[in-house]
Amino acid sequence: MLLADFGTSYCKFRELSESAGHPYLIATKDLPKNLRVDLATGHNGKRFSDRYVNELTALARGGEELIAAPDYVLLDCGSRDIKYVSYRHGKLADMGWNSECGASMGFTIELLEKYYNLDYDTLAVPDRTFSITCGVLGMSHIFDAVTSGISEAEAVARFVKGIALNAYRFSGSPQTLYLSGGLCDNPLFVSSFPCNIIPLGRYVLIKGLEKTARELLSIAL
Amino acid sequence: MKQENPFAQLRPDSRVGIVGIPPLAVIGRLNSLGARIHDLDEPQVNTDMEVTAPFLPRVYCAILRTAVLNALHLELDMIVIDVGPGKCDCALHVSTVLQDVLRIPVIRTRNEDDVPFGHPLCETRMSLLEKLQRITAGVQSAAPYQPEKFPPCKPTAAFWGVPPRDFSLLTHFPDTTHIYGWTRCMENKTPADGELEEIFNADVPTIFFAQSFCAKTALAKFLAAKHPRGLFLDVDVTCSSSTQAKIQAFLELSGVDHASR
Ligand code: SF4
Repeated sequence: MLLADFGTSYCKFRELSESAGHPYLIATKDLPKNLRVDLATGHNGKRFSDRYVNELTALARGGEELIAAPDYVLLDCGSRDIKYVSYRHGKLADMGWNSECGASMGFTIELLEKYYNLDYDTLAVPDRTFSITCGVLGMSHIFDAVTSGISEAEAVARFVKGIALNAYRFSGSPQTLYLSGGLCDNPLFVSSFPCNIIPLGRYVLIKGLEKTARELLSIAL
Repeated sequence: MKQENPFAQLRPDSRVGIVGIPPLAVIGRLNSLGARIHDLDEPQVNTDMEVTAPFLPRVYCAILRTAVLNALHLELDMIVIDVGPGKCDCALHVSTVLQDVLRIPVIRTRNEDDVPFGHPLCETRMSLLEKLQRITAGVQSAAPYQPEKFPPCKPTAAFWGVPPRDFSLLTHFPDTTHIYGWTRCMENKTPADGELEEIFNADVPTIFFAQSFCAKTALAKFLAAKHPRGLFLDVDVTCSSSTQAKIQAFLELSGVDHASR
């Protein structure tokens, strides 16, 4: 049974029947044309499967699989949107999905690293930040800052910190935040949050699909 | 000085637009005159909302922007707009705009009806969409209900709020969804009953809905925070796919049985 999380920039897969099979990644632009999967989530997922689980459900189910604490907030920062689920006493308490104001944040962060030839592993968290609610609008802050003499690296770091702060507030400003998505691998982004971060990586939604798949299989048996 | 009767000029078949819920006496009068009532709060014309931009800010309640859009396009003989405690200040200001823009009488009312008609549809088993359609259509009639036709069901979820501008968000709920908030007041024909509006059922997962830019967003958010399994939701003109997904996920993750949807 092939599970897939179809993201805007990257797609994540896992073959459920292979017990040793690890999840893997394919860039969205390199997806095979006639690909079909058994269970899908994510932006575009409906195009590749007859069985679709919506992204918030997959995120929440993934959190239920990976997080032992009864109270937590899990935030997923994707290429084009941010979403979170919050659990209290082991039950869903709140959720949010920001595809308008959170637009293109992850995508822009990746783009800027390449454009300015930077390495997020080496950038320090800046003291100051830009007030940012959207990746696209945030870019103009960078250009203005660079024009005023601030280094490109500093301007981009302020931008990344602004995005982290925005995502933190969006998810309700918790003391501890479980983080999902490719940005878990970006040390500058992770360190820019003003709270304790527990990164869970890129495959949280796939974990959620695994839970759904197991339920579906047990119904079918 | 004796007040002129604004309804004297109406003939049978006159087209009267209503905004909000005018008092029952007014609805009864319109019915007895044989007027054709058009609910301007609901989408009636297939025209871009942008047409209302010269008259209302874009950041304004979508229901009232819809009412203005309808008023500009339907050939009406009169508009009755409720601006009392059962509606809102936004409607009051819209009435000023309509009085200025249109050449037909725009009559303001203040509905403070307090005789409860009951709310059988709010608690019966039926698709939420159909329940809302019936409740909103019920505004045009002053006839008493036949509650025996709509027996109550055991709820598995609840919808709190006003009838949304975009009814598509209602399609995700199970048939066993009970209705609370202003929509319940609406069926009860007591739109200004603030106490009834604040009631919710803490035992079932509930979506607390309000139109974006409406003062009721504060009450919806407040009540959602009090509810053990409540989700606050505000939507502007149309319900985006991420909002639809949010409703689906909330119901699913709150254990609302798929089979009953
Ligand atoms: S939704 Fe709110 S602002 Fe809009 S008409 Fe109703 S009460 Fe007024």
